Amino acid sequence: MDWLRELARRLSMLMHRRQFDADLEEEVRLHLELRQEERLESGMTANEARAAARRRFGNATYLKEESRIAWGWEWFENLAQDVHHGARMLRKSPGFTAVAILTLALGIGANTAIFSVINGVLLSPLPYKNPKQLVVIKENDSLPNVMDIQRQTRAFSQGGGINVEKMDYIGATEPVQVRVGLIDEGFLETLGVQPMLGRIISSGEDVQGGPRLAMVSNHFWQNYLGSDPHAAGNTIQLGGNSYTVIGVMPASFALPAEHADVFVSLMVRDPGAGAERDLHFMHTYWRLKAGVTLAQAQADMAAIDRRLAEQYPAEEKERKSQLVPLHEWLVGDVRAALLVLFGAVGLVLLIACANFASLLMMRAVAERQELVIRAALGAGRGRLVRKTLTQSLLLSVFGGAAGLLFAKWGTSLLLALRPEELARLSGIHMDTRVLLFVLVISVLTGIVFGMAPAWIAARSDVAEALKKSGRSTTASTMGHNIRKILVTSELAVALVLLVGAGLLIKGFSRLRSMNPGFNSANVMTMYLQLPTTRYGEIPKQTQFRRELLTRLNSLPGVQVAMVTDIPLGGNYVGHRFVIDGRSPVAVGGEPKVQTLSVMGDYFHVMQIPLRVGRDFTPLDREEQPLVAVVNEEMVREFLPHENPIGVRIRWAGDTGPPQWMTVIGVVADVKHSGLNQPTDPAVYTPFSQSDEAWRRFMTLAIRARDAAPGLVEEVKKQIWSLDSQIPVSDVHAMDELIAVSLAQQRFNMLLLGLFAVLALILAAVGIYGAMAYAVNQRTHEIGIRTALGAQRRDVLRLVMRDGAKIVLFGIASGIAGALALTRLMASLLFEVKPTDPATFAGVAILLALVALAACYIPARRAMRVDPMVALRYE
Amino acid sequence: MHRDEIPPGTLYLLILRTLARSGEMHGYEIASSIQQISEDVLRVEEGSLYPALQRMLIKGWVTAKWGTTAGNRRARYYQLTAAGRKQLAVEMSQFDRVIGAITRVIEAV
Repeated sequence: MDWLRELARRLSMLMHRRQFDADLEEEVRLHLELRQEERLESGMTANEARAAARRRFGNATYLKEESRIAWGWEWFENLAQDVHHGARMLRKSPGFTAVAILTLALGIGANTAIFSVINGVLLSPLPYKNPKQLVVIKENDSLPNVMDIQRQTRAFSQGGGINVEKMDYIGATEPVQVRVGLIDEGFLETLGVQPMLGRIISSGEDVQGGPRLAMVSNHFWQNYLGSDPHAAGNTIQLGGNSYTVIGVMPASFALPAEHADVFVSLMVRDPGAGAERDLHFMHTYWRLKAGVTLAQAQADMAAIDRRLAEQYPAEEKERKSQLVPLHEWLVGDVRAALLVLFGAVGLVLLIACANFASLLMMRAVAERQELVIRAALGAGRGRLVRKTLTQSLLLSVFGGAAGLLFAKWGTSLLLALRPEELARLSGIHMDTRVLLFVLVISVLTGIVFGMAPAWIAARSDVAEALKKSGRSTTASTMGHNIRKILVTSELAVALVLLVGAGLLIKGFSRLRSMNPGFNSANVMTMYLQLPTTRYGEIPKQTQFRRELLTRLNSLPGVQVAMVTDIPLGGNYVGHRFVIDGRSPVAVGGEPKVQTLSVMGDYFHVMQIPLRVGRDFTPLDREEQPLVAVVNEEMVREFLPHENPIGVRIRWAGDTGPPQWMTVIGVVADVKHSGLNQPTDPAVYTPFSQSDEAWRRFMTLAIRARDAAPGLVEEVKKQIWSLDSQIPVSDVHAMDELIAVSLAQQRFNMLLLGLFAVLALILAAVGIYGAMAYAVNQRTHEIGIRTALGAQRRDVLRLVMRDGAKIVLFGIASGIAGALALTRLMASLLFEVKPTDPATFAGVAILLALVALAACYIPARRAMRVDPMVALRYE
Repeated sequence: MHRDEIPPGTLYLLILRTLARSGEMHGYEIASSIQQISEDVLRVEEGSLYPALQRMLIKGWVTAKWGTTAGNRRARYYQLTAAGRKQLAVEMSQFDRVIGAITRVIEAV
């Protein structure tokens, strides 16, 4: 406690510094006077007495200083003095201050914005209990397999699976589709979520024929249940059945990857699921037992895979379950992009710092005279360095603060631009870690980049500087050389960024110009799902589909067709198949193709060109010979050496007599899973010939002559005139789906492009500043040259030659740097080599032009130097 | 006349002891008092007296308050605190121990 009281006394002294000084002053004066009187009494004259007293007393200033130092605030007073002085100097030159702060604010702001995204996405833990224990199995699995793994595992403490399906919910103002998570009992427990109201399903209820129970999301509870605190026990109508609500999830709960508003037991909803081992559609999450490593769990999983494969060779022969930590699985795709962006934005900061340092050096040279005088008057070197550093720290801290504002604005911009992959992790905000980041980089910037000018200040040779009274001392030439190096590196770094951005832009334009295989213009899509209760059998489904298409196609100016899954919609079903006449393949080892059912003039509506053979006709229907249309990739991969028309294929694993389908046509490839994804082999079949009653869903493709505003409502009206309880969802323009599929690439390109432009501007400002300063310094020399007969052209050449040398060096080292660095972004590039020569050349020319233009402005000023004025200069 | 320097480390002891004897004093009085009582042998340098007083203020051994001298002038008077008294005892026993030890060394045969 003593030290606390001592600290209080020290602080109180700090608060009352002025009083302290006055008191000490008075005390010393009294002492002197008393001593003087004593001497007078001993018979000295007044003058002698005063002199004796002073002599005895010694250096009063020294004494006062010692007394003050005793309180331990010397550093603080010096600092306060430096800050005060620094602030005054900065106020005196608002232009310099504004440019320096703005430069740093741009650099720090951009870094902070990107860092806050990285912080939210890569660094923050997932919002689940012990998130590090959570893993996913990359491959989807079936319910019986999930249950077997749960029984056999020695590595997992919990686990469960989910499949999100859209189901219609009756009870809102119009029939809506809600996303229903079909889960098993272990799923919610694995994520460790506690319901906000009520409870979650128990193992006794997750059984065949169990009660229909539902757990709802907070969002559903607020929107459809009126935030009723007694919602547990209510009944809701879901997919034609009544479910009893037993629990409400907390608002903070969100699924890691999927989105669902209601959770019901898969086993209860779909009693057959317990036996359908080969329907792998559940995405599964697992929790490692404490102390179990990922490798151990993977080994255990491999053993389970082997046992399942032996036990169920027909379905599980090729089983291979790969475990991935949940966090890694979630951020895997965006990590590379974010790290490249962070690297890029770090380079922007470097350029900003180089400009900052360059400004400070100019400043240090300008203030050299003052520093020299201070040094001559006895200011210590350390103190001078501290003073210069304080000034740069002051600037960098202000820059950091302003950068924080930029970052706040930049983050909201990022959030507006963010692609789907970032959207699912929405924890992007400023937290203490981000603030700490800003503080650290601001202070580091201030110290590291304030060092060079401070060093120049400390090195100033007092005597020499005073003699030369100003012009071109060693300090200033040295300063000039350092600035040249700084500007050269700025240009080099800017070139690296420009190359990165150029590569992304090129890749993106390649991607955009990719032919998706269909014409997206003027096509609207929407998703429908038929309820099981009324459309359980295929004939009922076919009748509805046919009737709907007839009605829609009678609307003026529209052509409508339907397909199970629309390209770029994110889904497709894959089936294994067998080709007639080929040597039999082991069961479970047959090749897989994308399987799409269509009705109406689908290829015509989507404008997917027919290559060989014929299109489906209305005659290819139930009771007629089974037909199929395949894509070119299918032919390339499986039928390369024969005429595909007439080849017979069937789905593998069919029971009963083989259902052979005859290939009647080949259509062009469609980029179904994304423009940057390879095309999969695909088989199209007529909806009316399907024997899969579970395919109750379809996506309408509506081509309108022009985008009629009321079209969507008109189509919905037609659907509901057929059946008022069919929910319609995912209404999108096909162009919009293409834009969404490009979002991540667009995001990368926009950001890196923005950084590159920032870098270009900063580098241009940097070289402009350096050249302008150099011209200013050489005004005298240029004046003499002009007076001696140099032409304006010669002066221009003189200045531009200096600038061009810097530009050339900068670009050369930038190209070397870019060659080394762009490899790191190879994964972000689409069909562009990281060393693409055209990009390198184009970018180098752009940078050279901009930099030379920046040199030209001061060079022109040099040309106009009036020799008379110049010679009188100073 | 020859004056001896105050042995290092005993300045606090001297100030504390002087204040303990006479209640409150200002800086000049403390210096004079030490000089008088030591019969002009010990002379306190002003250059060390005032910083020492500041350090003692920080430690909380003394407090200071403004008062008036006999000659009706404003002066800062220092006074011992409880902590100061305790410190005085500590310094005294330390001093005794050292002096005793030195004496024993010198007088040993």
